[in-house]
Amino acid sequence: MFRINISTKIVSLFIFSALFSINLSAASWDVPADKKSKNSFIKFNDASAKEGEVLYNKNCASCHGNPSKGNVLKSLKPTPPDLASDGTQKLTDGELFYILNTGRGLMPSFKNVLSENERWKVIAYMRSFNKKYVQVLSNTDPSKSELVKVNMQYDAKSNIVTVKVVAKEKTGTVVLKDAEVILFAKRYFGKLQLDKSMRTNNEGLAYFQYSKDLPGDKAGNVELIAKINDEAYGELESTTKFKIAVPTDKPSLTEKRAIWNVLVKAPIWLIITYSFGVLVFLGFLLYLVLNLLSFWKIGKI
Amino acid sequence: MLEQSKKDKVTSDLLASIRLTNSFKAWMAFLSISLIVCLGAYVYQLNEGLVVTGLGDYVSWGMYISTFVFFVATSLIGMLISAVLGLSGQKWAAPLARIAEIIALAFAAVAGLVIITDMGRPDRLLNVFIHGRIQSPIVWDITVVTIYVLISTLFLYIPLIPDLKICSEKINKLHPMAQKAYKLLSLNWNGSHEQEQILKKLTRSIAIFIIPVAFAIHTVTSWLFANTLRVGWDSTIFGPYFITGAFVSGTSAIVIAMYFFRKNYKLEEYLSLDLFDKVGKLLVLVSLVYLYFNINEYLVPAYKMKKYDALHITALFTGAHALMFWSVQFFGLVLPIILLVFNKMRKPLPLLIIASFVFIGGWFKRYIIVVPTMEHPFLPIQNVPLNFKVYTPTLTESLVTLAPFILVLLIITVLSKVIPVISIHETIESLEEKNN
Amino acid sequence: MIEKEEQPKKKSRREFLQQLGIVGVGTALGGSAILAGINYDKNKTDAQRIRVLTAENELLEIEKGDATKIIPSKHGNLTYLQQQGRDGIAGKRFVMVIDLSKCQNARKCMAACQHAHDLRPEQHHMNVLKMEETETTPPFYMPKPCQHCDNPPCVAVCPVDATFKRADGIVLIDNERCIGCRFCIAACPYSARIFNWAEPLNAQGDKDKVYNVELNVPQKKGTISKCLFSADQVREGKLPYCASACPNGVYYFGDENEDAVTNGTTKETFRFKKLLEDNGGYTLMPELGTKPRVYYLPPKGKTVPFQDKDREEAAEHLHHT
Repeated sequence: MFRINISTKIVSLFIFSALFSINLSAASWDVPADKKSKNSFIKFNDASAKEGEVLYNKNCASCHGNPSKGNVLKSLKPTPPDLASDGTQKLTDGELFYILNTGRGLMPSFKNVLSENERWKVIAYMRSFNKKYVQVLSNTDPSKSELVKVNMQYDAKSNIVTVKVVAKEKTGTVVLKDAEVILFAKRYFGKLQLDKSMRTNNEGLAYFQYSKDLPGDKAGNVELIAKINDEAYGELESTTKFKIAVPTDKPSLTEKRAIWNVLVKAPIWLIITYSFGVLVFLGFLLYLVLNLLSFWKIGKI
Repeated sequence: MLEQSKKDKVTSDLLASIRLTNSFKAWMAFLSISLIVCLGAYVYQLNEGLVVTGLGDYVSWGMYISTFVFFVATSLIGMLISAVLGLSGQKWAAPLARIAEIIALAFAAVAGLVIITDMGRPDRLLNVFIHGRIQSPIVWDITVVTIYVLISTLFLYIPLIPDLKICSEKINKLHPMAQKAYKLLSLNWNGSHEQEQILKKLTRSIAIFIIPVAFAIHTVTSWLFANTLRVGWDSTIFGPYFITGAFVSGTSAIVIAMYFFRKNYKLEEYLSLDLFDKVGKLLVLVSLVYLYFNINEYLVPAYKMKKYDALHITALFTGAHALMFWSVQFFGLVLPIILLVFNKMRKPLPLLIIASFVFIGGWFKRYIIVVPTMEHPFLPIQNVPLNFKVYTPTLTESLVTLAPFILVLLIITVLSKVIPVISIHETIESLEEKNN
Repeated sequence: MIEKEEQPKKKSRREFLQQLGIVGVGTALGGSAILAGINYDKNKTDAQRIRVLTAENELLEIEKGDATKIIPSKHGNLTYLQQQGRDGIAGKRFVMVIDLSKCQNARKCMAACQHAHDLRPEQHHMNVLKMEETETTPPFYMPKPCQHCDNPPCVAVCPVDATFKRADGIVLIDNERCIGCRFCIAACPYSARIFNWAEPLNAQGDKDKVYNVELNVPQKKGTISKCLFSADQVREGKLPYCASACPNGVYYFGDENEDAVTNGTTKETFRFKKLLEDNGGYTLMPELGTKPRVYYLPPKGKTVPFQDKDREEAAEHLHHT
């Protein structure tokens, strides 16, 4: 790594900048305490690590290289760390999960790219490079998400969408308290988040400010999606259709007559001018031919 | 009245060219072989695709389109000589009418073929008729060029009718089939006053009709460029700029044709020194007008040096295209104007040399209009091979470009061998008028 | 149209061949008919192969799996794919937003695009340009796809309606119709169009594919190609190839009517107008009046500096001689 005969000045400069960059990265991953202690409900084993490897190669390897190989994309500033390195491995599962969720600077967020399952599998792959790692499993049971029922309601007066989250257990209905709820509007290519992410209160209710200017379909319909993430019940989505959006029926872009449009949509002045020109020519041609015909007849006599 | 012997002399002089000489056969053989070589190059291009040319995604129009523009330009001479000068009573130009029409027809007809050599999919030519959009200047161009070719053919043919009759009667040892063809095409011409009137009327109406058509073909050709947003083409004076340029190339073409017809067909008496003098003056006039348009076209953007114009103008004035640009302006325009002011320079041989410079300069002028603009798009040319950035024509492309020139020469040669290049009927008529 | 070989048709064809024989047309014609018959019999055993009649009346044989099942089109001789490609997706107005502050010249977009459309290395539907607008302003990387203008100069000049604008704003090319005049290349101020000067890259491999206007594959010699906003992906509700391939979150793609664009990297969705408003969005050369559907966010606060080695190339356009 270091060449021995390198001047001290450069060495100190290098060390300084290395320290600085470590400082920078350590300081900036300011992970909230509750996120830090989050654990995976997926068991980290060869199977999950193998699935994670596929996802890793597709989404992460272009910058982070292959773990433990040190082939990271060095042209980036700050240089992305090798994920098998001690610096990364000393982070908790919750911290890694948080980083994957939020992204930072050059690193994009993978919250919408990978599902929660997939994100944990990527971490499973990363952990497979750490022999000393011992997993602490979360007590979340993802299969329980099927029991969760979501009810959405819109109040026009207050312009608020209320999301109520309950679980239908065999023992009766349980209200989901302190579950994370994110409200989206369905769009053609993805989900548009409305308002901030909320947590349900003691009645299992979360309130969202609705954007009144949101375009819907012709009739003003919009599908709202509530995404629930609960410590015990896991992750799920629920969609409800509302007729509360701005009815949108913009004309097709090819409707008007234009120079660039198809022949039948050519500007009227052009059709008239062109046809007139061709007709004048044909008329003139007819005039010539008729005259030549009479010319020919005269000579015949 | 004109003596019969004089009429006979005119007739035999002007019919003299219509016979198969050995030099004609040799010339035809040379042209045919050259054409076959060039067509071979075209077949190669058809097989391999346009990759055999120097064209690329940026300079995607090159020599073919330059040649097309040049051909359409040159074909305008028919309209200038026969229609504009004829209608304005410039009697001196009358002997040139047929030569002008032959040139016009040959260049206009071949221009259509030049366009086909530039097409990536010539096999789909019919799509233009099946799916044609009248919003496209190409469709306008095809329309008006077709009309111009048809009208030019009639403009050549109708005044020719009396001569065809003469051909059928007066040419010695004519093949019976040829004689029959001449007779058939002469549409029972009997020289009656009535027929004469129809002929005069039709000739005059075509002369009038062809003026807007000719203006249209070259204006529309200029719009292929001016109707884009590109630097160097996005100009409101492109129509008249092209038309005036057309007169220059056309006039130089007619000088060249005159010279060779005069010399090879022994027409010294009919294509007189005075005629050369007058055409020389005409060339000065049209060149001056064109120079004026050139000054407008280049000085205005050069004064302002807008961001993208500056790239283009600098390349022309001092950059990669400077040598060609200034050579064309100087040897193809300025120097000819200066030289042609002197009487001596308007004699046949000097005029031929000067006109040749103007003619060749005319082709390079079109190249200068077409190519440099394509090398100067608004956004930088990056991530492509060098040959996409700088256009260098290939040998194949040059051969294919040569083909239309050979074809034009063939058409002109053949036409001059089957019809008199100067109207016998009108020459006799004007002699009679002078006599009275 | 795809014509599946069914029993009754086989019979009628055989009858037809017999009649041909009875009528006793010339030996050449008869011979070729018999040959065709033999070939036909050979193929009928292979249930996996079907015959396809192209728009140019060429009868092709393809693997059944390669064919897209289509509903017969009501529009005469246009294949269903061509018609579908011309119609576009109702009610949509697609837009792209390119965030120049995020582009690091990774060129994954270019690679994905070239891969999807079978392009040669020098052929770019998407081209990342090194830009330097004036000597004092900072240089930056600018991915440049087709701008899918609402006043498209290229479409205006096309003599045969081979390139067209769809109701949803996407400008496409029908390379089964293109005559290769290249007027559109001359007309495009954004240099967005390319031409297949030679036999396309994967001509052999694509030979049997049914031409898809929305993908412009197979590419054809002597015709135009250009960025298609990945119309084939968009039809399926997926983001364009370039947007999905970008590792740096440069691309947003969406529907203006929905006022939403989705980032190709993070898949996060944003309000389209708000994104432009907050970041000073603009279009390229608006003074030309082409009304692009591609918007740019300025290279403000770039996280990665412009590479020195790229500076020379960027400046070339500025000091061109």
